Amino acid sequence: MKKRWLLAAVVMAASTALLAACGSNSGSGANSSSSSSKTLNVAALEGGYGSAAWKAVVKDFGAANPGVKVKLTIDKKLESVVSPKMKAGDYPDVVHLATGRPDALTETMIKSKGMEDLSDVKDMTIPGEKKKVSDVLMPGFDGTLATEPYADGKTYMMPMFYAPTGFFYNATLLKDNGWAVPKTMDELMALGKKAEAKGIALFTYPTTGYLDSMTYSLLADIGGKKYFNDAMGYNHDAWAGKEGTQYFNLVGNLVKQSAKTTVANANNENFRKNQQLILDNKAVFMPNGTWVTSEMKDAPRAKGFKWGFMAVPGVKADDQYAYTYFEQIWVPKKAKNKALAKKFIAFMYSDKATKDFLKGGAVQPVKDVTKQLDAEQKTFYSVYDNGAKVLVGSFQNAKAVEGVNMTDTLFGEITSVTNGTKSISQWQQDVVKAADQLRE
Amino acid sequence: MNGHAKRTRSVFITLALAPAIILMTIFMLYPVLSVFQMSLFRWGGYSADKEFIGFANFVTLSKDMNFIRSMQNTILLIVLVTVVTLAFALVFAAILTRVKFLGVGLFRVIFYIPNILSIVVISAIFSAIYDPSQGLLNSVLRIFHASSWQGVQWLGNEKLVIFSVAFALIWQAIGYYMVMYMSAMASIPEDLYESASLDGASVLRQFFTITIPLTWNTIRTTLTFFVISTINLSFLLVTAMTGGGPNGSTEVFLSYMYKQANTNSAYGYGMAIGVVVFVFSFALSAILQAITKRDVYEF
Repeated sequence: MKKRWLLAAVVMAASTALLAACGSNSGSGANSSSSSSKTLNVAALEGGYGSAAWKAVVKDFGAANPGVKVKLTIDKKLESVVSPKMKAGDYPDVVHLATGRPDALTETMIKSKGMEDLSDVKDMTIPGEKKKVSDVLMPGFDGTLATEPYADGKTYMMPMFYAPTGFFYNATLLKDNGWAVPKTMDELMALGKKAEAKGIALFTYPTTGYLDSMTYSLLADIGGKKYFNDAMGYNHDAWAGKEGTQYFNLVGNLVKQSAKTTVANANNENFRKNQQLILDNKAVFMPNGTWVTSEMKDAPRAKGFKWGFMAVPGVKADDQYAYTYFEQIWVPKKAKNKALAKKFIAFMYSDKATKDFLKGGAVQPVKDVTKQLDAEQKTFYSVYDNGAKVLVGSFQNAKAVEGVNMTDTLFGEITSVTNGTKSISQWQQDVVKAADQLRE
Repeated sequence: MNGHAKRTRSVFITLALAPAIILMTIFMLYPVLSVFQMSLFRWGGYSADKEFIGFANFVTLSKDMNFIRSMQNTILLIVLVTVVTLAFALVFAAILTRVKFLGVGLFRVIFYIPNILSIVVISAIFSAIYDPSQGLLNSVLRIFHASSWQGVQWLGNEKLVIFSVAFALIWQAIGYYMVMYMSAMASIPEDLYESASLDGASVLRQFFTITIPLTWNTIRTTLTFFVISTINLSFLLVTAMTGGGPNGSTEVFLSYMYKQANTNSAYGYGMAIGVVVFVFSFALSAILQAITKRDVYEF
């Protein structure tokens, strides 16, 4: 009998140890932060600009703030690293993650009102400098839905990197064929006929997600900024009315001229094959962001290939908007070191940080930054100097509606229009229906 | 046994069972129950405010055409993968156990290889095979067509793409089930086949009257595996290869659940889908077990 008792005791002890091991993780973490040195948890997305710049910035901040230990979590799929921890109540102090990502973690935080008010960061003095954040911030980047998601005058997200969007093309291809760079959609479609005669498709897109910037620019081109904001607010007439119909027809007719293989490759596994069509002179234009040049830098290309970049053609000549992507940085409401987190964000706008980021190709929205760009970057960022107007913001934060997703409907269904499964008017009806459901 | 010994015995049994029961409760029972509980709420996943809405999520679900399409796709995949894989795996297993030829071991390994590969690798392989311009499949078909032939859009045609996914799933599943059937077939005594062939039964006849009935129990067990693994693997493959596209035409149960719970900030709704998947897979397995029940033959 004694032996049995011993066995039972051993089994119990083993299982208790197992359970204790599961729970010990959080305990030891709490102990270490209670000492005099503070640990700032920074979570950043490793975007197309790489991770070296972030590491340099974090090191600079640590050097300027003795006693502060900065723990950097940087990942290409940041959501899958931080969101399980967040669900368990372990929040990072600073998160650099933009809206518009497929996993929509930032949008979820907005919808659940989980962000700290950062309005006072603009009045903070940049650490190590005499200027305030608001002194160096480029105009046009605050005061939009992208930084004030509830449109209540309070800033919840600060702008980080920005990049103009538009159509990329092979400048040599256009020059050799004597085709002028189209400024309006009519000119673009006319060019499509000429290209078709040469066996070149007019258009392609990496995945439907890349059509967002083109959509935003076109909406503003069609009806101006007021109309753009109405559309972003899920206004029924904005999508169902005259301007809406014009938008659906323009895009619908354009994507029907896409290269035949576009839809089959418009997924995360194969989207580079669509980008390759531009390098191979098999398609003329594609919407993309400035990172594409570094993403495709090792890819084979047609002889004499040279990247060209233009704003999305407008509906009237000399009236174009170029949508600006920008990434945001924010602080979760449940972060432990909010004051330090705000100081870190203020540091993002320092000369030191801007230079570090520029080395990785990331451009901060601070004044005079364009003077420091290299030649290739200048061709992209000069699109605004050539007459295109800055456009920022995206869909308003709406209450989550089960089973309804505006971007899936507005952009995702474009594949069905491209391969002819859905008509343009069906697409419009679906979008109007989604807008109606989200507005209620 | 006196009273004291009885009590000691029951205390011992309780103590011996406790670790397993505690672990089971924490890691199996509690998560499943919280899925059921969360499906009754409107909740974004992170915020503190959860709104109890009863069965409203399930009502929305029954009208959500995107969900119904993902359900149709899953059912289609389960049926296709089960029927085709079952047939091929049985035939290959029978050939490899019954017919003696050179390189049986080699074929066994070759058939099993796809099962060792990660789904991400499989998706890369099939993306290359299905590539519309340079893919293996279209290149072979191009032999029979004029040079201007555009090729089949295996992943671009919304009616075709689900079958492209099914084919990849079948390819990776055959080896696994074949090995299972082979082990069942290997235990059938050789003298049964001998006497059958003396009685003049053909190979085909032997297959249907000896092999199938005597491996029936294994086949029944694998039917449940088919349901569970198709639901799980289709999610992985679809996520890696098509992302549910074009325009949701390859969306399956779990990929739609993931999208709703995480991308669309409707966590409660996603959990409601989880409940449906849970009930569906249990019910389907139970039905399959019930309708395939036969008297077990012994040898």
